[in-house]
Amino acid sequence: MPELPQKKVGIIACSGEELPEGTVTRLAALKVLEKLRPGDTVTICLPLFLAGGEGDRAFAKFYPTIAIDGCEKRCAYRGTEQYSNRPAVGIVVADLIAEQGLEHPQGRRKLNAAGMKAVEQTAELAAGKVDELLGKAWSRREGKFSSEPAQGESVATCSCGSDIPVQKVVVNGQEVTLVALPLIFQNIFQLGKVPVSDLAHEIMAMVNIYNSIDPANEAAIEAVVLDAYASYCRQQKEKA
Amino acid sequence: MANFLETKVDKFIFRVDPTCFFNSEGVWVRVEGNRARLGLSDFLQQRSGDIAFVEVKPEETILVVGDEFSSVETIKVDLDLTSPVSGKVVKVNPALEDSPEIINQDPFGEGWLCEMELSAWETDQPRLLDANAYFTQMKHDAEEEVKRK
Amino acid sequence: MSDPVKKVVIVPCSGIGKSFGTVSRVAAYQVTETDRPDQTQLIPLALLVMGDEESRKLLAESQAITVDGCKLACATKMVQQSGGQVARDYAVLDVYRRYRDFKPQGIAELNEEGEKLAAALAKEIDAVVDELSAHKEGGSHA
Repeated sequence: MPELPQKKVGIIACSGEELPEGTVTRLAALKVLEKLRPGDTVTICLPLFLAGGEGDRAFAKFYPTIAIDGCEKRCAYRGTEQYSNRPAVGIVVADLIAEQGLEHPQGRRKLNAAGMKAVEQTAELAAGKVDELLGKAWSRREGKFSSEPAQGESVATCSCGSDIPVQKVVVNGQEVTLVALPLIFQNIFQLGKVPVSDLAHEIMAMVNIYNSIDPANEAAIEAVVLDAYASYCRQQKEKA
Repeated sequence: MANFLETKVDKFIFRVDPTCFFNSEGVWVRVEGNRARLGLSDFLQQRSGDIAFVEVKPEETILVVGDEFSSVETIKVDLDLTSPVSGKVVKVNPALEDSPEIINQDPFGEGWLCEMELSAWETDQPRLLDANAYFTQMKHDAEEEVKRK
Repeated sequence: MSDPVKKVVIVPCSGIGKSFGTVSRVAAYQVTETDRPDQTQLIPLALLVMGDEESRKLLAESQAITVDGCKLACATKMVQQSGGQVARDYAVLDVYRRYRDFKPQGIAELNEEGEKLAAALAKEIDAVVDELSAHKEGGSHA
């Protein structure tokens, strides 16, 4: 059985070399990846969506991504949306600078002090978004992030003790166990996907990554999984 | 061409040549008569990254199990590889000088490191992992590494 | 009147996963900002990914030098996919093999050896730029 990757957030920087703001995106992304949230994030190369990198395409569909762009062209956001999946968050450095009244960064090869300040602010904003996307709730009483599930919620895990979440569905009267289905639902719900028939193929593409599905049953499973996702969405809305 | 043992961990596919024996580092040995070829396993080369330089002990070098026989510099790490067998180096892969990337492209085939004349195969072999045992170990190591990332 | 010499386009790697990407960018900046600013122009990969019209037009009119940080060769592939002509492609790993003492480290900031490797690569690119520019100038006088 394939190992389920730990839940992470993908960071995509536009890295636009033409502008100092592009350098800001790159350094801010690196700061989040290496210093602020090293265990929770992974980077994806934007050009790999086109030049290869099928693994990267699957990742951006499966996990929430933060696109960090330098300017209004928003290459990272639009490129990810076009070739992989809509990013969960988009940050535009030029907008952030304007909103916070920061000085414009100078230097492409080496940023000036204003540029480094912009890096700091962008990285902090992105790190905060990482926490939100990973579902960590800040407890003011405890003064720390809590990542435990709310009381009453339980997640069935595989009997081998690997803690990989599974979900059983009934297909043509038979019980079928699907590995990673709860996590798949969680992630696409966070991306705002509604349970319409067009979504069924997308969900099945992700189910197929972690399960060996008999092609003879695939259509039936697809229909059942979509119903299950609809139930999941209803439950999440009731909780909210 | 041997049918490889294959596993997928995260987005990576790792292969093991069933005709080889392995030490725990991931150096493979393929024996033919009293000679053997040595190389890096697919898992080891993928984990180490693109290879920049390779050095192998020259012909006529006498090695005992555990002696360093090759150093490999990649874009990520520097590896010092220990010999899984005892014997004498009789040939070093000439392709490594100009095209060390052949190891990344074909680790069990054209990317071999050297050939040796074996001197103690009967005592060396029991210390090595056969392909199935190495496959199990490699799969575990790969899964652990994904968890750590 | 002779045609104006069109610029040589430099397209570096955008990757932030390894130091080779940074070497690629530092070399590109060295060429386009310091060594040959009048003869070259840098195009970011992100714009090519998005099919930016201005960048595609520039590529169509110019020769390109690509500098790839890894074997996936995104810069070279993207220029080709965007209709550009790759006059010379560099793989930083191959360049490192020629300058073995300059082992690069660091991604946000290169170590001293990385800076030297970038400088050596920039010099090689400068020579290619001169060659391409001279060829164009010679052609226009024919």
